[in-house]
Amino acid sequence: MAKLLKTAIQAIREKGIAGIVKELKEGEFVRCLPDGNLLQTKIHNIGARVVGVDKFGNKYYENLDAQFGRHRWVEYGDKRRYNASQVPAEWHGWLHYMTDHTGDELLMLKPQRYGVEHKQNFSGEGDEYIYHSKGHALNPGQRDWTRYQVWQPTKT
Amino acid sequence: MTRCIQCTRCVRFASEVAGVQDLGMLGRGSGEEIGTYVEKLMTSELSGNVIDICPVGALTSKPFAFKARNWELKGTETIDVTDAVGSNIRIDSRGLEVMRIIPRLNEDINEEWISDKTRFCYDGLKRQRLNDPMIRGPDGRFKSVSWRDALAIVAEVALQVKPEEIVGVAGRLSDAESMIALKDFLNRMGSNNVWCEGNGVRPNADLRSGYLLNSSISGLEKADVFLLVGTQPRIEAPMVNARIHKTVRANHAEVGYIGPPTDFNYNCKNLGTGPQTLLEIAEGRHPFCSALLAAKNPAIIVGAGLFERKDKDSILSVVNSIAKLGNVVRPDWNGLNFLLLHAAQAASLDLGLVPESDNSIESAKFLYLMGADDVELDELPSDAFVVYQGHHGDRSVYRANVILPASAFSEKEGTYENTEGCSQQTLPAVPTVGDARDDWKIIRALSEVAGVCLPYDNLSGIRSRISVVAPNLLRVDEREPALIHTDLKPDCQQKLSTEPFSSAVDNFYMTDSITRASKIMAQCSASLLSKK
Repeated sequence: MAKLLKTAIQAIREKGIAGIVKELKEGEFVRCLPDGNLLQTKIHNIGARVVGVDKFGNKYYENLDAQFGRHRWVEYGDKRRYNASQVPAEWHGWLHYMTDHTGDELLMLKPQRYGVEHKQNFSGEGDEYIYHSKGHALNPGQRDWTRYQVWQPTKT
Repeated sequence: MTRCIQCTRCVRFASEVAGVQDLGMLGRGSGEEIGTYVEKLMTSELSGNVIDICPVGALTSKPFAFKARNWELKGTETIDVTDAVGSNIRIDSRGLEVMRIIPRLNEDINEEWISDKTRFCYDGLKRQRLNDPMIRGPDGRFKSVSWRDALAIVAEVALQVKPEEIVGVAGRLSDAESMIALKDFLNRMGSNNVWCEGNGVRPNADLRSGYLLNSSISGLEKADVFLLVGTQPRIEAPMVNARIHKTVRANHAEVGYIGPPTDFNYNCKNLGTGPQTLLEIAEGRHPFCSALLAAKNPAIIVGAGLFERKDKDSILSVVNSIAKLGNVVRPDWNGLNFLLLHAAQAASLDLGLVPESDNSIESAKFLYLMGADDVELDELPSDAFVVYQGHHGDRSVYRANVILPASAFSEKEGTYENTEGCSQQTLPAVPTVGDARDDWKIIRALSEVAGVCLPYDNLSGIRSRISVVAPNLLRVDEREPALIHTDLKPDCQQKLSTEPFSSAVDNFYMTDSITRASKIMAQCSASLLSKK
């Protein structure tokens, strides 16, 4: 607790009250208050080091003082709907202690020609999010099975 | 890499059947190749047949190649309607789509060939289709309506006008069932102004010998002298032309031609361009007369394009006198032939679709067009109500007040009579498009709404009605020759005009609503007709 307070006072001294407020706003602190998971992450973040930020806005933290095996975590960029599939492939290895290379380093290894953009899993998120096959009525690009072209009346 | 094994079947077909010297061997030895000569196209109207001939598949159909597999296709043995020959074809379809058209063997009609128009017109069946009944609103725009509303409006207008102001025109592609339904419907409405386009005014429907190819298509092989009067068989009926070509090759038959300059793929003497030459032959002044008189089986082929001429009766009486002079019509040989242009013509004349008055279009208040796209509508009164029943948005729809969508020949069961008097039936290969219905069903429904219900509800009912009018139409795949050959008509005293014959078909590839909608046919006429 003492350490927490110390860090807080140090932060206020560095950035000033206005700076702190700005930071809280950017981090959508208010939205985190009612959500236990996010709030815990926010508290956890204090004193941790930001290792990197990916293009979805997810922030990756490391705190070597924390218990081993719980010393790397992610703060999701999207505070409304967040889930583990939002972590792109390049950061996955780092986050799960498979490698010490950060996502930014691994991004360089991503094949340029055929590497697919990361897409989160939309299962259970509603019809407008999930994949529908080309014949499905909910697919906006549903295939047209008419095999003839209709004469279009024009005004004569 | 090509699969060609240099069997030269295509080369032989081109020179021996199609009669064009466009395909040949280039190079010799290991460098031997089949090809067209430098910068040449195969300018034959039978060129598609090399696809069927090729034993290895080196020559493929461009629109069909690699679009479908053989085992996916459903074959339907039916009849072609793009010309009056009625070639036997097989329509191969996959699901709702016609994928290709290939010939069927019929030694009496098309042997084993079909023309390019028949083979490649099928993409026209997928374009410009009418699929909903439509009514032209007061703002001049078409609006889709239900069948009930469309028929109600048509019946209401038909009942308002005077009976003699009701006019019906059957189109080039109409089948016998729908034509008899149209005639019955108009007769019950009190009008007898119904005809089939292409037959001209006052057609001769009394004697079948007056409009049929009397010596039959296969019978043309026995002829040794041909006189073509105002007909260009190569573009009007390529299968008949192939028959003439075969005869010319086999027994060196002499061919004389009277008409506008045109291409022939066999030796042909151009005798003249108009009725003047006909008169000279009839009076025995022309050098061709000696050939005609010396011939054992002379054949005269008169084009149906002449039916549209004003002096048609006098031309036909001159032709009759030539026939008498050359002893063309004998008990054992009838060489006086009429080559029709459209699939519906023979059946319409058999069914007696003859207009009562000559200028019915000018006085029409209610015009029923059953697929008729080539009717001259300029003289139609502007307040006339036009109903267009058909399968393609082609020419006449733009003048129509109500559009009733019908099915095309590939989608219905219908009887067609070809130019030699052989009636044949089509079978549906694919389902109808959208809300379209069979032609005769539409007229049957309309008659009920109009309160003059026609007495048949199904195909067998309408066929038993046909059997009363023209029983020969029901004897399918059998040629019914004309029985009376003698010239019963009185000599016509009409003045023969000196105007030369004009060609009946100006674009071989685009003659009806289906072929005019076809992209392939448009490309063909762009690349092939400009070369000539």
